[in-house]
Amino acid sequence: MKANSQIACHDCDLLIVVPEMADNHSLICPGCKTKQFTKYKNPLDYTIAFASAALIMLFLANSFPFLSFEAQGQSSTITIVEASYRLALEEFYLIAGLVYAFVILLPFIYLVSLLLLLLPIKLRKKPFKPIILGRIMSFFLPWIMAEVFIVGVLVALIKIIELADIILGFAFWAYIVFVICFTFTANVANRHQLWQWIDDAK
Amino acid sequence: MQNSDAPASNSVVSHTDTHNQNSDEYIETVKNCDFVQGSASSHGLACCRTCHNVAPVTLGHCPRCDDRLYLRKPNSIQRTLALIITAMLFYIPANIYPIMSTTLLGEATPSTIFSGVVLFLEHGSYFVAFVIFAASVLIPLAKMLVILWLCYTTARHSRLSRSELTKLYQITEFVGKWSMIDIFVVAILVALVQVTGIMMIEPGIAARAFAIVVILTMLAAHQFDVRLIWDKQER
Repeated sequence: MKANSQIACHDCDLLIVVPEMADNHSLICPGCKTKQFTKYKNPLDYTIAFASAALIMLFLANSFPFLSFEAQGQSSTITIVEASYRLALEEFYLIAGLVYAFVILLPFIYLVSLLLLLLPIKLRKKPFKPIILGRIMSFFLPWIMAEVFIVGVLVALIKIIELADIILGFAFWAYIVFVICFTFTANVANRHQLWQWIDDAK
Repeated sequence: MQNSDAPASNSVVSHTDTHNQNSDEYIETVKNCDFVQGSASSHGLACCRTCHNVAPVTLGHCPRCDDRLYLRKPNSIQRTLALIITAMLFYIPANIYPIMSTTLLGEATPSTIFSGVVLFLEHGSYFVAFVIFAASVLIPLAKMLVILWLCYTTARHSRLSRSELTKLYQITEFVGKWSMIDIFVVAILVALVQVTGIMMIEPGIAARAFAIVVILTMLAAHQFDVRLIWDKQER
């Protein structure tokens, strides 16, 4: 955010005049003490780096086995997509769709939109339809549940660990790295920063 | 518009409090900054829902992202209440019906959300029992009740201060998606324990109902406008 521009606190509607801020400083609303945003150092480079890393990890997590299950000499191996695909086979289409969207599809759309916006900015070119990209990202971000999925997987493993041997696949670790990179990306490219870029690119 | 007494150049930088994951530097907080007396809406300025831009509400559409501008989310309380009541109705079948059914050697054992917690308690894994209990029983229920109560406090006097109510809302909004844990557990178990022949896990109807509860409570939290709590009396 540029200094001396005005923002309104999203929670208490106080009009704040953005002060001159040093790197790695967060602005706290004087009215309701809610954190508004953090100003990071080189946000553009950091975001591009972490978003690309996250995208690569998401790709790897989808191409390798996620978990293997072995009991009484029989084994089954699943990929992430199968977690929702098997639900669809059982005709639980609603949950299958939700799991697929929250875990794979929405993070993918978010990361691709972010890179489509930021890479041209980095190369000093005009990004294609920045406003639409920005609205897609702002709309989908609250629905991305990658970190919740990891905890869900861990709980599921605890439930069946006594029944069988579980082998954590490569995709499992890739997904964990993806979650870390993604969280950091979403943190640096916060709403104020994201729309600042879009504003400058228009 | 009158500016407050603390000029921007004198901003007080407080003690460091959060650690930056990426470097050894610290994230510090700027707590005292310049602000304008009165809420943005009292100056006819709307904060855009999509891009948080501040623009005169008379423009109709946000000059930055072209979304519709509103001073407050339209019909916030009515929509929130409608979503919460629907969620509460769905919460009943989510707890009565089995969330999944385990077939071991031809014998099917259906289990509800609550019986899953009890199972872990019997096994002595109290921590896991607590995590599941918190995520699938405590959080959805507490969330629905808190949002109902917040809707009530926008009209009535409350013993808690406005910052405390805001904090409560922020927590509710934050924990919302963590209830999805249960659905992910079912998805993973169903996929993983499939074709071994000896054992099979099938999803139950409660999984559908519970997923709908989570989505509806999240939508309700998004629809609720905290600023209504701050509007009750002028700063």
